[in-house]
This record gives sequence, structure tokens and C-alpha cells, in this order.
Amino acid sequence: MKRVAVTGLGIVSPSGNDPVEFFDNLTAGRSAIGRLPETLSARLSTRIAGSASFDASAHFSAPKLRMLDRVSQMGLIAAAQALESAGIDLTDEERCRTGVFLGTGMAGATTTDEGYGTLYRDHSDRIKPYSLLMAMSNATAAWIGIEHRLSGPNLTFSTACSSSAVAIGEAWLRIRGGDAPVMLAGGAEAPLALGTLKAWEALKTLATEDRDDPSASCKPFAKNRSGLVLGEGAAFVVLEEWEHAARRGASLHGELVGYGLSTDIAHITRPTIEGQARAIRLALESAAVAPGRIGYINAHGTGTAANDAVETAAIRQVFGASADGIPISSTKSMHGHLLGAAGAVELMAALLAAQTGTIPPTMNLRVPDPECDLDYVPDVARFGQDIELAMTSSFAFGGTNVVLICRKA
Amino acid sequence: MTTTFDGLREVIVRDYELPPEKLVPDTLLKDIDIDSLGVIELIFSLEEKFDITATDTAQEFNTLGDVADYIDRLIAERKARPSAGAGMRE
Repeated sequence: MKRVAVTGLGIVSPSGNDPVEFFDNLTAGRSAIGRLPETLSARLSTRIAGSASFDASAHFSAPKLRMLDRVSQMGLIAAAQALESAGIDLTDEERCRTGVFLGTGMAGATTTDEGYGTLYRDHSDRIKPYSLLMAMSNATAAWIGIEHRLSGPNLTFSTACSSSAVAIGEAWLRIRGGDAPVMLAGGAEAPLALGTLKAWEALKTLATEDRDDPSASCKPFAKNRSGLVLGEGAAFVVLEEWEHAARRGASLHGELVGYGLSTDIAHITRPTIEGQARAIRLALESAAVAPGRIGYINAHGTGTAANDAVETAAIRQVFGASADGIPISSTKSMHGHLLGAAGAVELMAALLAAQTGTIPPTMNLRVPDPECDLDYVPDVARFGQDIELAMTSSFAFGGTNVVLICRKA
Repeated sequence: MTTTFDGLREVIVRDYELPPEKLVPDTLLKDIDIDSLGVIELIFSLEEKFDITATDTAQEFNTLGDVADYIDRLIAERKARPSAGAGMRE
């Protein structure tokens, strides 16, 4: 089995557009959740989200931009950033084996939304000619492959909220098994289009806006949690075979050591303790580490009644008595739930936590819930921690539970 | 008087942020990154501007002049129709 180094990081997110800014905001407990623009919020009862702010025209020419859905814009920016930070110079032979694995839940939802507007609202048949190429699920991964001349396997995984965790786990397997020297893996999601927002609203899983402070609306593990807050963004990691990275003297952000995947088959949305616990156990087994050695968990922690209680019970089931000693946080309290991109964004938080010895807090946890009785690092970050191994969980509608484990480099 | 080409140039400057001086009838579409789908999108915008309906967008366009000629043909066809004229903007 090959070892897998993380040699590049890239991110576009509500909490920042590079890994340092992103993690600084998390450790400072700064929420990026805010009001949606009036054009969207006028039709919504949940008017808050984590919006990413970036200048697309600084990255793409006007003709190119007309071919890119927002999800692909963010994906391309994050992917380029990850490759640049890896400082990697691939040979032609390596490019043929280097793949792009991407996770996304809704792909080009904005384009689909606009197309329906043209068709049904405007009663026009002038659907944008690029619509299909912008909305298709694999558009972002395809553009990244084209842009960076990476002609190895180019796959898009769509397992709702665990999509990018799956993409990263599967990419890890490719390198671990010796199939690829380098993989670019991550996720992208742009769900802040009216149609998508209304669909989420109809599902009754979105948080009620906090009357005093809208940015504090997502309250993972709190008794008064009322649901999740949507976010948009993209994140990528460059995974590299350990010796390949060592030979070129690459700087390391950590090592990816474990990947566990299980499927809940009880219900399309309802999580189970057994399913989540099985994913954690499988990840620990693949990493060949004892549960007691995990020093930080970046939880799935959506802020929904069902998830947070089940996740707590699953952690208790696997870690037993040592569960009380593990700092756990949900950074979704600050950046929102990035759905298909969440796994990649939160792996980045876990990697940076281990690397810097800093544990970002769970914000807005003021009212404890007896069903959520672990150490969730409320409100204030912890510095100077010695974290050898960090774990991150992504549990999805549809039942695909994914857990990734990383080690400090 | 505003010519068809002026109208075409106006749309491209607006949508593609290109300098107007770069847009002449001989400008090759591929040189300004407008591919076959981009041409269709462009023609959609021109349909509204010139109140025409594009009937055959599958044909080959190489230059901006080709697109302007096509638009001119559609305008002529529209004017030739018996019902054309009243209330049309131009």
C-alpha cells in the first residue's frame, strides 16, 4: 500500500478564498452566514445562507464566463489554487495518470434554474445554447481536466452531502493502490438559486433565522438548533503518492490515512447510529489506528435535530469512554452546509487543525442538549493542541456515510 | 443610421467585453473565442434586437460579416412578409 500525502489545498468559500483566510476566520469564530440578496430573499421564508464572494472576471475571460455555471467557476478557481500551492510539475506520462475526482450534489443548478425561467416564466424557447454543458453534473470536473491537461480518470460523484468526501476517499484509494501518482480531488456546490432554495425550504430542514443575529442561525448540537443553513463554495486537495512528494521536496499539509464508507438503508433522509458508526469504524480500520488516538473530529454537525443527536450517539458507540475526551466541532456553524463541497471544505479544516494544533469552535452552542453531550468546543477555539490524527464526517441524504482520517505531516 | 453590423458589434461589446475597434466584418469568430454555440447565443440576442426569428442556425459562420449578412437576410425576409411592418421596432 502506498502512503498518500496532501500537498496542495485550494478553496473558495463563505469563510474565505484561501486556506489561511478560511482557517483564520474559523478559529476566530467569525460567522460568514448572512442575508441573501433581496432578489432571492423576497420569495423565501429562510433568507440566510453562506455566500461565497469572489471576482469571476479576474479569473475568466468574458467569453469563457458565458460557458461556466457558478459551480464550475468556483470549482476551477479552487482547483487551480490547489495545484498552484502544490507547486507540482507533472510529466506528460504523469498527466495521463493524474485524475480529477469531484463531488457535487446539484451541479449546475443555477443554469437549470435560469433555463426553466426562460421556458416557463418568459414563455420563450431561447434556451441558452450552453445550458446543457453548463448544467451537466460532470461539467466542473471536465473543465478542470481540460484546463490543467489532466487526462487520467475524470469522475464526478454525486452522493448529496457526502459527495466530495467520496471523491477524496476514492482518489485516495487510487493512489494507495498504485494506480495514480497524483490526484486532484474535491467538491463544488452552488445551491443559492431560487429553485434550489425553494426546494430546500419545502423540505423543512433549514434553520429558522435567529432574530437577534442572523449570522448565528446555525446552532449545531444546541438544544435550540432548528436546522441547517445552506452555503456555497468549492475546495480541492492535491493528493500525492508519498515518495513522489518526497522526491520533489514538496511541502506537506498532512497525510490522508483512512476512508470509511457505509450506506444507511432505513430511509432517504433519516440517519442511523449504526450506519454512521460503521463508517467511522471502517475509516479507523483502514487507517489501522485505535479509536483513542483521534485528537479532533470535524463533525458533520448540520444543526438538524436528527443528525446531531444520531451523530453524537454514533461517536459514543465507536469511541466508548474515550469519546468524552475528544474535541469535536462543527464549523458549519460559521460557513454553512456546503452540501456536495462540505466534505472537502471540512477535510481542509481538519488538516489545518492538525497542522496548526488549533481547534476551531462550534459557534452558537449556548443551550446544551442532553442528547448531545460531548465536548463540542463551544464558542472559543483551542490553541496549542497536539493533534496527531483528525477525523471528518460527512453523512448524506440518500444514506452515503463517509469518514476521512488525516494525520499531521 | 445604425447598421446591422453596428447592432451586432454593440451586443458583442456588451456580452463579451471586447473593444469595439477589434470588431470588423473580417474578424474571425474563432479569434474572439466565439464557437458554434456562442454564435447561436449571439443570434438569440440579435433576434430580440432586430425583431427577427432565426430559422437556420446550423449553418457555418466564419466571420462577424457572415453573421451580419445572415441577420440582414432575416430582416429582408421579415419585411417581405405581408403582415410585416406595422408596429415593428427598428
